[in-house]
Amino acid sequence: MSQDLTRRTVLAVLAGGAAFLVKKANGQIVWQVNASRCINSRLFEAGVEACNLCTTECVVALSAVRAVNEYSKCGRCNICPAYFNITSAVNELGQPSEKLCPRDAIARKAIGKVDPEDPANNFYEYIIDEEKCDGCGKCVMKCKEPLGLGSITLRVRYDKCVNCNYCSILKACPQNALMQLPIDQAL
Amino acid sequence: MSRLPQVIGRACVILALLAQTALAQAIPYQRPVDTAPQADSIGGGYKVPAVQKPLPRDYWLQVLDVVALAAAMGISVWLVLKRRSRKWLTALTIGSLAYFGFYREGCICPIGSLQNVVVALADPKYSIPMVVTATFVLPLVVALYFGRAFCGGVCALGAIQELVVLKPVQVPRRLDRALGLLKYVYLGLAILFAVKPALARDFLICRFDPFVGFFRRTGAPHMLILGGAFLVVGMFVGRPYCRYLCPYGGLLAWCTRLARRGVTITPNKELDCGLCAGACPYGAIERMRAVRRNCLYCARCYAYCPRERGVAS
Repeated sequence: MSQDLTRRTVLAVLAGGAAFLVKKANGQIVWQVNASRCINSRLFEAGVEACNLCTTECVVALSAVRAVNEYSKCGRCNICPAYFNITSAVNELGQPSEKLCPRDAIARKAIGKVDPEDPANNFYEYIIDEEKCDGCGKCVMKCKEPLGLGSITLRVRYDKCVNCNYCSILKACPQNALMQLPIDQAL
Repeated sequence: MSRLPQVIGRACVILALLAQTALAQAIPYQRPVDTAPQADSIGGGYKVPAVQKPLPRDYWLQVLDVVALAAAMGISVWLVLKRRSRKWLTALTIGSLAYFGFYREGCICPIGSLQNVVVALADPKYSIPMVVTATFVLPLVVALYFGRAFCGGVCALGAIQELVVLKPVQVPRRLDRALGLLKYVYLGLAILFAVKPALARDFLICRFDPFVGFFRRTGAPHMLILGGAFLVVGMFVGRPYCRYLCPYGGLLAWCTRLARRGVTITPNKELDCGLCAGACPYGAIERMRAVRRNCLYCARCYAYCPRERGVAS
């Protein structure tokens, strides 16, 4: 044991370091998807295959990232390109016959009375069941200019996210589209 | 006439179908609306639903985790140094494994927090919550006074290995020493990777945590296999991760050189019969004396001491 190094010195160093870190502390920080970087939600990426790294890379069994429909921005379209697979064959109702979501996590519900004569003025509510959603990003890729209004984005579910020291999705993301923010600044 | 909009709609969809297969960029699918209709334009008493905003674990619960950590270390010190009870320490170990390991899924742990602390010290733009700082500092402070109480009965990674120790062999002293240096190499590497610029940064300790996959009941196959291998080896070589790899263990071991108290084997009270040295699976008893640097607070030496047993009964 060295004589010159005392417990008091070490404690002082620890306390000093801790005080520095506490002073710097910015409240609670959370991971969040940066929509302006995420290839699924940013513009001018329409038509390419949706990136599903958020689904495959998250350490939580069912990814902590899920799609969120910002309802105030939703067009409530009759034929929603995020709900329907608009490239599938049209059925007798005049709608694409297939749904886009592989997990059937989006529910479509008519708002008010449906007028079959005037489909453009019928509105539908699209609710995403976040318990089912695994954040594959397919709907996000479709719901943006020019097809949609961009109301669906990927977000981290804070109650599912284990707040890893270093997000494993970010590790894999070619766009570096995940960021750490203080909780009051995050979505 | 009345069927016209429907026909147009149908045509749009068919066009979209054709265009998507032909040219990915230009999709003639017509968006029916240019702006989102709001409650007033929809009418009929429609209300815009609220977006789900699940909040993270409450802050007070995170503070509670730190309190639990401090309490568990306090209990560990008391059980080992005062009660000298291996039985109750095992109970604490199981409790810690259940709470910090399986319930909290191995996060947040002081071992990993090392990296956050290093980054927060080095990168002016990176800050860590107070609970992380506390999680990092508390076990070190305890080690400065009482030795590695965190390792025994509190650390989930230690606990899972502690509980599989079956038939430990004594690792030859020189090999044990040499392997023990690995943890400082690992510590250096972890710091090196953590202080890299933000995008190249990697948290090696978390990435190569062999047991977190078990705690989360999911994980990359190669890490689960590695974890399994550590547990199998751990049946015969006591707590291999703690002794040879744990970087935080390296810090704690360094702190114990200033410890005021620790597990002691005193000739006045014990017999100097050497039973304890044979019982220690971690090679922490040298020449009949406990080596604080290596002592993992398991209290086996006390459990195997005939004199101690006499005291207890």
